[in-house]
Amino acid sequence: MKRTATYAAAAIAAVVLAVLPAFLGAYPLNVARSVMTYMALAVSWDMLLRSGQISFGIAGLFGLGSYASALLVLRAGMDPVLSLVFATLLTGAIAYALGFAVLRLRAMYFSITTLALAEIFRIVLHNLHDFSGGPEGVVLPGVIFGGAAPALYWLCLAGLAITLGTSWYFERSKLHLALTAIRNDETSARASGVDIFKYLLVAFTVTSTLQGMMGAIQVQSYGFTTPETAFDANFTLLPLAMALLGGIHSTLGPIAGAVLLGIASEWLKLKIPYGHLVVYGIIIVLVILLMPRGLVGLARNRRAGRRA
Amino acid sequence: MANKRNRTAGLVLAAAVLGILVWRPTVLIYGLQAAGLYASIAIPMGLILGIVHIVNLAHGEFMMAASYLTYTICRASGMDPYLALLPVAAVTAAFGFLVYRLTIRRALKAPELNQLILTFGLAILLTQAANLLFTSQTRKLSFEYVSASVDIGDLSFGVYNFVFVAIAVAMVVGLRLFLTRTKAGKAALAVGQNPRGAAIVGIDVDRAYALTFALASAMVGLMGAVFITRSSIFPAVGSPFTMKSFCLIAMAGIGNIPGILASSVLLGVSENFLKAFRGTREWADIVFFVLIISVILGRSIRGKKA
Repeated sequence: MKRTATYAAAAIAAVVLAVLPAFLGAYPLNVARSVMTYMALAVSWDMLLRSGQISFGIAGLFGLGSYASALLVLRAGMDPVLSLVFATLLTGAIAYALGFAVLRLRAMYFSITTLALAEIFRIVLHNLHDFSGGPEGVVLPGVIFGGAAPALYWLCLAGLAITLGTSWYFERSKLHLALTAIRNDETSARASGVDIFKYLLVAFTVTSTLQGMMGAIQVQSYGFTTPETAFDANFTLLPLAMALLGGIHSTLGPIAGAVLLGIASEWLKLKIPYGHLVVYGIIIVLVILLMPRGLVGLARNRRAGRRA
Repeated sequence: MANKRNRTAGLVLAAAVLGILVWRPTVLIYGLQAAGLYASIAIPMGLILGIVHIVNLAHGEFMMAASYLTYTICRASGMDPYLALLPVAAVTAAFGFLVYRLTIRRALKAPELNQLILTFGLAILLTQAANLLFTSQTRKLSFEYVSASVDIGDLSFGVYNFVFVAIAVAMVVGLRLFLTRTKAGKAALAVGQNPRGAAIVGIDVDRAYALTFALASAMVGLMGAVFITRSSIFPAVGSPFTMKSFCLIAMAGIGNIPGILASSVLLGVSENFLKAFRGTREWADIVFFVLIISVILGRSIRGKKA
């Protein structure tokens, strides 16, 4: 019964989102795209977090996907749509290879290394002038789909749908049990026969692939990028704050957080051009101290309280 | 164990240093100066990590805030940053104490995840607050004594930055004396080694943590005041130092404060080594990231074998 209701709600939401371009102008669609991008990143970050590993390298993989897609079009003359697929797979392959090294690390060492990797990607692309355009970045011959706002919106929505679908699958598969076991107690998970490294590698590769995919979609929708925009720290920071506010270890939490913070930040950006992100810092600190389970956790507690 | 490792690391470094001295003296001079800067910022973070066992991802931002404070004071009163040094350190000590009391203390028992994200949030809060108050425009105070230089034969180089080397060495010596000679320092050291054991023998763990946090904040505040004599500041100026400091501490091993000096020399000299050549100059920034990753990975692999 409850499950049917959830499916119905998801279906209605999907239909509403899909027909939105018929009613909205270019600016609201642009805001919607930015919210959806951050939402996908927030959900993918949370997917890895469910195993207890905190990545600070979202921007690194996002930027890697951006550059892979842009350079495939520019240097290999690939079709933009095809480049999205290849850039996504390429990011995944790089993450898979890196996973063998970084997934041996735990806790703060893992987090700091992911942060450092993001910086390495940025510096390499910044310095390879002839290949990546150096600090000036790259300009594509054109925006994908001729820059039609509804088409760009649907492309971004598709990326989000893939991410949410993967997250939903993660939550319902054996993988979820394995990742939760690793998060709760690695030693006892190992003792129960969970192949920890394998599951972490799957989670790391899949989430990185999703982040690269959103990066590729972003660069094709704007038609240009620079190392500073593709690897902008905000791509790490905002998704993190969104997932925390909404409630970690779930799909619903990051979605709620992204809608709230995404719209709030568009509004704040207009009101306070410098330093509107201070709100994000305050939110992160307050959420960690006062409601570590986020809004979803709060709602769940309230419901449980009413029932009791 | 740590002493023996320090000694071998020291010997290898000394050999490398001698080689470079003969071949390209400026690499060594500027490398040492950079090392002094890195070490004096990393040491307070190492103190917190060694005793409170918390990675303060807002460490560089503490320094940035202190630099802005110094900037405001010196702009308003025309004072030299060296005169503002002690008041600034006092303010940051109080600030560090408050931050500990209001936030860190509540997250001590929480999973490490929460602590990391909490200090990450503090870092964003400080950077963006600076953005809000001062905008992202760079600020600078200029002083003549900064450009002091010395000529030895054909060689001419700036000497002002040696002040950082002096500060770093003073910090190491001062901390050693504090941790082994004073009652509060011994208590802090004991808490760092085993908080539960320390609590059993009657040491106030919470007080030791608060004191450590305040002391480290005072040290980094002092660095903030000195930092502005030499560099322009902007809201994001501190964040690379957070990562560099963590890297240097990880390289030295947590709790090994003199080791931070050695790892700083390694980082400073290798960065300046790359800067000495036109073709590799732009890649100097990457040295540190390569170092951090190889060190961390090396440690984890060695840890697996042992």
